[in-house]
Amino acid sequence: MVEKLARPPEEVRAENVRDWASALEGTVPIAGLAARQRCKVAGVVQNIRIDPRPGRDSMEVTITDGTGTMIAKWLGRQGMAGVQLGIGLVVEGIVGEQGRDRMILNPEYQLLPGPEAG
Amino acid sequence: MSSGELHHTLLPKIIALPIFSSDALSSVAYASQEIILVLTGVSLAAIGHVMPISLAVASLLVIVVISYRQTVRAYPSGGGAYIVAHENLGTFPGLLAASALMIDYILTVSVSITAGADAVVSAVPDLAHVKVELCIAFILFITLANLRGVRESGILFSVPTYGFVISIYILIITGFVKCIGGCPPAESAHVTLEHTAGAVSIFILLRAFAAGTSALTGVEAISNGVPAFRYPQSRNAATTLAIMGTISVSMFLGISWLAHGTHVVYTEELTTQRTVIAQIAAAMFANGWFFYVIQVMTAAILILAANTAYQDFPRLASILARDRFMPRQFLNRGDRLVFSNGILILAVFASGLIWAFRADINHLIQLYLVGVFISFTLSQFGMVVHWRKTHEPGWRRSAFINLFGGSVTAVVLCVVVATKFSKGAWIVIVAIPLLLMTMRAIHSHYRDLSAALAHPERRPPDKRPGDQHLVIYTERIDAAAARAVGYARSVRPKSVTAITTDTACQAAWSRLAPEIPIETLNGTSGGSTFKRVEAYLEARRAQIAGDDFLTVITPEVLQTQGLGEVIRHPALHRLKAQLVGEANAQVMDIPVLRSTIDPTVDQAHEPGRNYAIVLLAGLHNASLQAIEYAETLRATDIRAVSFGLDPEETERLGNEWLAARIPHPLEIDDSPFRDIGISLIQYIRPFEPDGIRSVVTVVIPEFIVTKRRHHFLHGKTALIVKRHLLFEPGVITVSVPYRI
Repeated sequence: MVEKLARPPEEVRAENVRDWASALEGTVPIAGLAARQRCKVAGVVQNIRIDPRPGRDSMEVTITDGTGTMIAKWLGRQGMAGVQLGIGLVVEGIVGEQGRDRMILNPEYQLLPGPEAG
Repeated sequence: MSSGELHHTLLPKIIALPIFSSDALSSVAYASQEIILVLTGVSLAAIGHVMPISLAVASLLVIVVISYRQTVRAYPSGGGAYIVAHENLGTFPGLLAASALMIDYILTVSVSITAGADAVVSAVPDLAHVKVELCIAFILFITLANLRGVRESGILFSVPTYGFVISIYILIITGFVKCIGGCPPAESAHVTLEHTAGAVSIFILLRAFAAGTSALTGVEAISNGVPAFRYPQSRNAATTLAIMGTISVSMFLGISWLAHGTHVVYTEELTTQRTVIAQIAAAMFANGWFFYVIQVMTAAILILAANTAYQDFPRLASILARDRFMPRQFLNRGDRLVFSNGILILAVFASGLIWAFRADINHLIQLYLVGVFISFTLSQFGMVVHWRKTHEPGWRRSAFINLFGGSVTAVVLCVVVATKFSKGAWIVIVAIPLLLMTMRAIHSHYRDLSAALAHPERRPPDKRPGDQHLVIYTERIDAAAARAVGYARSVRPKSVTAITTDTACQAAWSRLAPEIPIETLNGTSGGSTFKRVEAYLEARRAQIAGDDFLTVITPEVLQTQGLGEVIRHPALHRLKAQLVGEANAQVMDIPVLRSTIDPTVDQAHEPGRNYAIVLLAGLHNASLQAIEYAETLRATDIRAVSFGLDPEETERLGNEWLAARIPHPLEIDDSPFRDIGISLIQYIRPFEPDGIRSVVTVVIPEFIVTKRRHHFLHGKTALIVKRHLLFEPGVITVSVPYRI
């Protein structure tokens, strides 16, 4: 308990997310992924960006699994379809890059309760 | 601590029991005593009724526990009286239950802390004259612990609860053994009362019973806490409730029996007397070390019991705030995931009561229990409706159990009110409807507010780039004034003017910005600077097209970093606050930190890039107006960002954004530490604003309520954000007020 209190909260949080993500079968940690590889990763939604501008119509969801972050980007979406901050998201597709970030374009996905859901 | 940790640790039964039962178990410390106190009001002989009365109270406890096991099964997400009554009986009964509970949580703190102090005073009689101070110190301690967040210390909680249970059992077992050949007499066994010949009436018996029902307080705690249990949650919670009931009944009956056996006298006639438990313990163990163990454990569990209210009160306040019956400030968790405002309110009221009643438990307890039984009754009748609606297998049996339990507690409620009304319970009976009406008034205020914010006729009109009239208010010509000029040029507004109260500025101004006319607001028209600026703005407003924005730019060079800066220029900050609150204008703050000024650079240069960020908490007329505002600035990039929303709100906001067809990106960012100011700074820094090449303009929608008494119903988020951003280089904030 004392140890837990002494550590920075960011670290404790990352560890909780890591425990949660690593318990999901069939997924791999984000940290070790190389580009142009097909993969299935799980993470917690920490940022959602929707861009309704014509021609850029897209939704980007950044997930973290405690080892790294991954952007899931869908083109031309009309609604949130259940995506919320803090929810668990499993995405599957080919790893690409967007700037310095890893990105999967139009992945197949599945929503799960995140680590903070009771 | 971050939001993600909130539900992370689920509790096994052995840890959950002490956390949720300390309130219920600790009432053993005073329940028997309060029965005896009523009986000695009649005569010494009346004490003989303590066992039958205790048995009646114990039966009631069993009924309530059985009844609550139903609630725990039906409401695995937590079924407090407010939720159950609100969902099944309607808004009014829900609010009645909520008001009763809030008042009772306050009293739980006052009564438990006072009883805890009594235990300490029984062990160390010298402390008797500082009892009130001792109580306040305990409250201060719990308050600080809770503001910091004590959720992780489940194991720490177990020690006093189990310690208390074990030491009371040792006391009872020792008592039984020693009583085989006749109980050792308590120190007060030979006390004589001034009046000795009173008759025991039914009313007295009922009063004694009502006093004894304090043993029931806290039974509902487990039903609130079901989500904290390990799986299967409902079954574990129901089992824990049964274990708690068993322990509570056995301890209570044991203490009553020993009190009767040792002939303890506890009476209002004596001013210095030890608690009943202390007297029994002294009779059994003399004043040996185990006597002190019992006193310490009693005090410790009572402090924990007060702590239960510290968990429940803010949670209820937060649920009520979510349903718009309490001010929004109660919704926010502090940065350590606790509901700081609720905690502080609870501490203030509980200390106030202790102070007012001079830490006299026998008076405080008269106020207690009305709320407990109102909420018990409403919650169980709510359950009856619930079973009738769901028709689950076995619903008739469940409904019957709750109906029976509810009827019994309803009768007890009448008894409690009838016997305690004149002794102090009337205070609570007056306070509950007052609180209820306040909550309804708050609700209707928020309802009017959201109606105004969503009103289609008040939807802000569409704006085009440059639909702006800028007014630079300056007291001196410095780097900040120059940046204001640069910014104003970059907007290419329909008009720019400058105003000052200092004639000496004029010459320097015409060198800085010859194209911008400056006017000195003369002091002869009288009134404060604000009045003069306001009069100027009204005159401008009359000259321009009605829909255009009229923005006052207030440049300011900050000498040092730190809040001392704000204190140094109180006039400017007051002026800005008044302009936002009262003038029909937007207020743009352009601060420049002195140490960041490069004298070789032309400060009045137009910034190359201007990233406009609209801070969003929801989509309504006020935020739409802020978005329209951002569109007039000719910014390089416009986006809306939102921090710190609850997960469901984030999805709703995204869907509303898409449905409203707003042509800008929206970013919803996690604010895990619940501090919007810090999250916003982290969001802004990657843009690398320096004030010259690039700036970030943060557009903050603010609602302005006209009635002063409504001010407290609105958080100070905008103010907090502005204060955080004041010292960020290259960050400009604009308040876009929306009048309700």
